[in-house]
Amino acid sequence: MTSQPRGAIRGRSAIVAAGNTEQGTVPGISADEIAVEALRRTLAEHGIAKSEVDGLITCKSYGGFGIDTEIGRLAGLNPDYSATLDYGTCNFSLHLACAVIDAGLATTVAIVYGTNQRSAGNRFGHPLGRQDEASVYGFLNVAGPAGMAFRRHQHLYGTTEEDLGRIAVSQRRYARDNPLAVFREPLTLDDYLAQPYLVEPLRRSDLCMISDGGACLIVTRADRADDFTDKPVHVMGIAQQSGLRDRQNADQWMRPWIERVAERIYPAAGIDREDVDALYIQDPTSVWVLQMLEMYGFVPPGGVGEAFRDGAVGFGGKLPLNTNGGQLSEAYMWGFLHLCEAVRQLRGEAGGRQLDGPRTAQYCSTFGFMKAASTILSVDRS
Amino acid sequence: MDTTTADASLFWDRAAQGELVFQHCDDCAFVRWPAAGVCPECLGRGFTWKPVAPTGTVWSQVVYHRAYDTSLRERIPYNVALVELTCGVRLLTRLTGFGTADPVGAAVTARFEDTGDGPVPVFAPATGTFAPAAGTAEGNVS
Ligand SMILES: [Zn+2]
Repeated sequence: MTSQPRGAIRGRSAIVAAGNTEQGTVPGISADEIAVEALRRTLAEHGIAKSEVDGLITCKSYGGFGIDTEIGRLAGLNPDYSATLDYGTCNFSLHLACAVIDAGLATTVAIVYGTNQRSAGNRFGHPLGRQDEASVYGFLNVAGPAGMAFRRHQHLYGTTEEDLGRIAVSQRRYARDNPLAVFREPLTLDDYLAQPYLVEPLRRSDLCMISDGGACLIVTRADRADDFTDKPVHVMGIAQQSGLRDRQNADQWMRPWIERVAERIYPAAGIDREDVDALYIQDPTSVWVLQMLEMYGFVPPGGVGEAFRDGAVGFGGKLPLNTNGGQLSEAYMWGFLHLCEAVRQLRGEAGGRQLDGPRTAQYCSTFGFMKAASTILSVDRS
Repeated sequence: MDTTTADASLFWDRAAQGELVFQHCDDCAFVRWPAAGVCPECLGRGFTWKPVAPTGTVWSQVVYHRAYDTSLRERIPYNVALVELTCGVRLLTRLTGFGTADPVGAAVTARFEDTGDGPVPVFAPATGTFAPAAGTAEGNVS
């Protein structure tokens, strides 16, 4: 038997439904209830019976919500398999769902996420006292690490703030056509540059909002996909890499381990980078979009500004990027909405921002934790 | 968190006396930070706190214009830098003495400044490697 590349799913799992709640400020409902509301809407909108769901994967949100045992109780589910990831982002949940389906532990897995951290007033990062150097020096908020990484990038490649600003500007332009997006007002490069620094060299539009909301995807074994929809979106390849020890000493902000994901994901999916019609990059900050565009080889190191200027990447460009507006403009949601958007674009259901018949989409993610992941989806099963 | 062997307080106590110390692995000599009970190179548990040369280069720096905690309100704008020490450790810290000059890549030496809770390490341009911009109040620091 010929061994396949690591992460080669090759259409054995398919996403048959993607749904979400309203985004932004959703008061008066708990994080777990928002997750269940996302599940309810997703099942209802796609005509899928709750009894079909025999797998449940959740992720723990800030504040400790999101545990499968609590969400399963609220949702009235006794799944054959359930688990909670201790860190967010949709990629990791989707990858676990594919593995669970491949192993035969469940057939139809709901992956759900809900958060009310905006309404709850949760903020990332408070000083912890004198044991912790970040606290001693006031190194708080994701803007600190991201700003440090961008400042280093500027030093190495001469990247300008205009180069970085084009990422947020492009994503805002998409968000203007997305009714779900929280930020839809126009944003020009001049507007961006006029914003005061929050953590120099970063501005407000370089950082994602903290928002409430829920999202859900239903993943099933390939031979069941047609039972749920005539527009399945096939998972072709998945890849992950951790940089866990890099929290100590090594490069925790330039995130070089993402390059290992970039090396694995195209062989896993059996496609080339050039085959990607729509690209999604999780964007807690614009800086990690810049990093991943480079590390996945979509632009040369230091070439992000030029790529947006010349129309190689971004709104109106050859390679559409974060057509939902991303976390910078649409909503936070630990990247769940990027994947929902990729599914909608591939199904031709993206409304006023629908691309011209994309067949392949790639989603790349990373966050404050030391992990990176990518997924390639296709309308074609092979 | 179990802090019985991963206690970083010795680092801060010695810094208050003007010395940079880190855990050196007794088995493989790897120098580690943050404090930890196990060596990430060889998984050995024995270690000795030893001083290191207070020298390095600036890896990167940011300036906070916003206080993300009320306790930091009076400090803004303040900088935070990552210094790559000669011993291999990367240390989160603060820079002083650079004025408006770009510090990234510059050679630096530790000094110890009291920010209200005892002296902590900060880093200034290394002697002889930095000419302050005209008109800045801050001069060269040894
Ligand atoms: Zn060792």
